[in-house]
Amino acid sequence: MITAFIHQFSSAKSFVNITEKLYPFFLIVGVSMLILGWTWGLLFAPQDAVQGNSYRIIFLHVPSVIFAELIYFFMAVCALMHLVWRVKLAAYLIKSAAPIGAMITFIGLLSGSIWGIPTWGTWWQWDARITSTLILFIMYLGILTLHGSFSNLEKADRLMSILVVIGVVNIPIIKKSVDWWSTLHQPASISVSGGSSIDPSMLYPLLISVIGLGFTLIALGILSSRSYIFTREKNKKWILEHV
Amino acid sequence: MFNLAFDNFNEILYMDGHGIYVWSVYLIGISIIFLSFLIAKKRIVDIQKKINTKNASS
Amino acid sequence: MLRLVKAESFKLSKKLKSWLGPLLIMVLVLIAFPLSIDISQFDLDKFYFSIIVVSLLMTSFVATEGMFEEDFEDGSLEQEFLIEKDFYKLVLSKIFVYVCLIGIPIAFIGALFSFANGVAIGSFASVFLLLSLSNLLLFNLFAFGNALSINKGAMLGVLSSLPLALPVIILLGTAVRSIQFGDDFEAIITLMTGIGLLMSAIMPLIISAALKTHID
Repeated sequence: MITAFIHQFSSAKSFVNITEKLYPFFLIVGVSMLILGWTWGLLFAPQDAVQGNSYRIIFLHVPSVIFAELIYFFMAVCALMHLVWRVKLAAYLIKSAAPIGAMITFIGLLSGSIWGIPTWGTWWQWDARITSTLILFIMYLGILTLHGSFSNLEKADRLMSILVVIGVVNIPIIKKSVDWWSTLHQPASISVSGGSSIDPSMLYPLLISVIGLGFTLIALGILSSRSYIFTREKNKKWILEHV
Repeated sequence: MFNLAFDNFNEILYMDGHGIYVWSVYLIGISIIFLSFLIAKKRIVDIQKKINTKNASS
Repeated sequence: MLRLVKAESFKLSKKLKSWLGPLLIMVLVLIAFPLSIDISQFDLDKFYFSIIVVSLLMTSFVATEGMFEEDFEDGSLEQEFLIEKDFYKLVLSKIFVYVCLIGIPIAFIGALFSFANGVAIGSFASVFLLLSLSNLLLFNLFAFGNALSINKGAMLGVLSSLPLALPVIILLGTAVRSIQFGDDFEAIITLMTGIGLLMSAIMPLIISAALKTHID
């Protein structure tokens, strides 16, 4: 029964129809929240006592590393759905989310590097969290290469899903092991369990930019998944309504 | 909370010497995200064209 | 099971290049490294073990490359699937044979070189055990990478399985640290034995799932 339910709501056709309607909402809300959060953060938030103005990079850096990991977990959920229930749409979503994940991880690494120059005096440190983010970036590249190297796309979908699932098991292991190995990064400033060590005047713009970047990335994901679904299902009849 | 943290426009750009880092990060980040939107849009248009020509010829 | 182990070890021992090559690479790297630095300025015993770790990673990657490729191309993988309906036993015995014929000799060479260069560790046996265990882990992980990329070359294998192997390297890195501080590293050996057993049981399941995808 559960399989029938999933298959009914996971056809590529209904996905394209629903997301087509939601796309403007996500894009407009996301971009306007980003503009709000970044203007607030860049121009109105007070200077940091220790790091001066260079801390303002946080409003791009923290959201991007948050989504670098969230996108991977999203892909892992999709991969399980693809392996267990053979949902084709899930594989399409993995394939279209992976480049976005790689892009946002790259932005996170780059902004962190540039932030490191004025703050730590060096653009790269073999620190635990930087290293695990770098490994995450390599994993995204691996997933993309794996999918790209098979001409049989169904086979590529399955293998990619297996790799994504193994990778998500690997992420906490990598995190723990590099933590154990060395750490220099400041501990996470916001925690879910309350008690964040950051002033509200900096926290609010940060939260706004996190949500804004999330919505923007969902909009981007909708676009990229639509193009990939069209490519994969180009021989189906329902496509004709969308061209 | 809603006071400008800077006195004038030059200071906003300069940010006590950190301006170059801050602004270059945002410039690169925004342009990468914007570029990926453009690429995604272009891909959709391309594949739509492809499907259209295929259907017209068959 | 015994039949598979026999067949695999026969196949591997026939392919001289596959099992002698990695051993020679290991020896060459370990000889080449001291030649490439100014030996009078560095304490070789402090960081020679790191070079052993890195060359262990490289050689085990080279050793497992094309682990399933030949079987896939000459059709014996499909034949095996028809007999057993599953690859669990095949993968298990393949990894076992590879570890015995390549992994353990590599670990022996590594232990020998670390001993000869005066790496300050308690005993030869413990280093040998540490390196053999890490080879067991690495061979399992690289076998997975090979099963994914079966005949698509090394680049894909590196990208897909090297991130998985990095925790093993970090584990060995902590061993290096405990060497420098003169601590014993029994805890690390125990931990690695546990992970190794767990992984040897679970990885063949995942690898056979990946191999099945290639067959049908």
